[in-house]
Amino acid sequence: MNKRHSFYKLLIALPALLLSLLFLAPIAWSLISSIKHTADILKYPPILFPKNITLEQYIKLFRAGDGVFLLFIRNTIIMTTFTISLVLIISVLASYAFVSLPFKGSNFIFILILSIFMVPFQALLIPLYSILNKLRLLDTKVGMVLVYSTFFMPFCIFMFRNYFSGIPVSIRESARLDGASELTILLKFYLPLSLPAVATIVVYLFLETWNDFVLSLIFSSSNNVKNIQVGIMNFGRQRFQSDWGIINSGSIFSLLPTIIIFLMLQKYYIQGMTAGASKE
Amino acid sequence: MTLGQLASKNRMGLLFMLPSLSLLVVFFLFPLTQVLYMSFQDWNVMGSSTWEGINNYIKALGSGEFWLSLWNTFIYTVIVTPLIFVPAILLAVMLKKTTFRTEVMRVVIFIPFTISFVSASYIWSWIYNDTYGILNFLLSKIDLISRPVNWLGETWRARVMISIMVAWKTLGFSMLIFISGLQSISQEIYEAADIDGASRIQTLFLITIPILRPTIFLALVISIAGSFKAFDQFFIMTNGGPMRTTQTIVMYINKIAFENYDMGTGSAVSVLFLILLLSISYQQIRMGGYTGE
Repeated sequence: MNKRHSFYKLLIALPALLLSLLFLAPIAWSLISSIKHTADILKYPPILFPKNITLEQYIKLFRAGDGVFLLFIRNTIIMTTFTISLVLIISVLASYAFVSLPFKGSNFIFILILSIFMVPFQALLIPLYSILNKLRLLDTKVGMVLVYSTFFMPFCIFMFRNYFSGIPVSIRESARLDGASELTILLKFYLPLSLPAVATIVVYLFLETWNDFVLSLIFSSSNNVKNIQVGIMNFGRQRFQSDWGIINSGSIFSLLPTIIIFLMLQKYYIQGMTAGASKE
Repeated sequence: MTLGQLASKNRMGLLFMLPSLSLLVVFFLFPLTQVLYMSFQDWNVMGSSTWEGINNYIKALGSGEFWLSLWNTFIYTVIVTPLIFVPAILLAVMLKKTTFRTEVMRVVIFIPFTISFVSASYIWSWIYNDTYGILNFLLSKIDLISRPVNWLGETWRARVMISIMVAWKTLGFSMLIFISGLQSISQEIYEAADIDGASRIQTLFLITIPILRPTIFLALVISIAGSFKAFDQFFIMTNGGPMRTTQTIVMYINKIAFENYDMGTGSAVSVLFLILLLSISYQQIRMGGYTGE
């Protein structure tokens, strides 16, 4: 009976298993294509399991245009790091103030910050362009980080505020009686109790910034500022025949860090992302 | 607490909010008023402007390309929404029980959500490629097609194929929302239905989906708003072609503003787009829901 039971279980599991493999197949095909020799990529019928694998496409990717792709990666790492740091600092500070230092009108400010989420930044590309231009921040990494931070901070402030409101008031009251400053209370009590929220937000900000395309496309024009996504698009938009070797290796290179970071922190990220939606 | 202490506490609160408040004002509230102002102005290359009244709006609403872009975006939304939701709900029902196996599968199905639209678009353009693509090869292997199909070269086909890519990339997110909704349904209801002899399909349509309705509605609003903002996937996979029939509204804004440098009309279209999106998002506020996408 036990044997029949496990056979039945396998029968149920099989379609589901195949289905989840189907979700990885497109990425796998791109990966396979990226480790073929140039001559093998443009073969029809396609070679499903190449016998000779090579890093040729990745070498081509990093050599193209005097190593411009490395520069794009460097830009993206810098902008992502600074956006994550800046948003973490400002949203932790603001959320703490919303929860434990409220004043008349602070709730209104909170609603204004949340309203950033309702307004698509795609509708503000033109005024943002002109403001960045006036501030001499157009086509600079600083300008990009500030724009990213503005549009990605509402989710983080929302998240931290929720987390902080769950922390007992008695903690900060007794700390205040002991003469602790507000910053000390935040750093010594509130932040350590909110590490899952920090993990969720790090993944969220990493994905949003690393994967951004439209903001980088419109607000950056020099190779010192363009991000990795715009870089891949530049390779994809060659005037003549597209180089699918470079396009595939570039795409794989761009998705590896996001998948790794997600897998490392997926428990917190999934919990944090779905918590807001299932309140109902 | 004395009045002095209260005042210093208020000052401290404001100080803590100051960084995010400055970003809010400079990069959100100011642009928001600016786009409205610019939509009534004509901006020339030298940076000076003249008052135009509602001329930009007349120009935008009178342009066939505006309506075409709006239509393309709408049609795309109609195609992609069921392609995301039907599998997402089914997968959520399949994977709602938390075991090691279902947890692994949830993570695997969610992985495409974490990759960029640029990478996803290129990965699928390569699959769809008319000369070397693996899709044509597989379909001809099982005799479904007799000669290679140009998947992205024809309007309706391109819309559907891009929607399939987007469904693959984003349905993991909706699935997770549904799973967390399903897990909040009490097990007793199902036991009662089981005692009454309800079939699995009856249970799905008469119990699960009605209870899940607020969650589904919220996810729908978020997803529809996302579809209306579509840009990357069309920019890369078809660049709006053939004949602009896959050009979305955001692509249109990008084109008139940053290729034709008509900032006035671009702003007018942006304002119209904004109003459209706010009327969709308003439903989200009404539901009181809020998530990261």
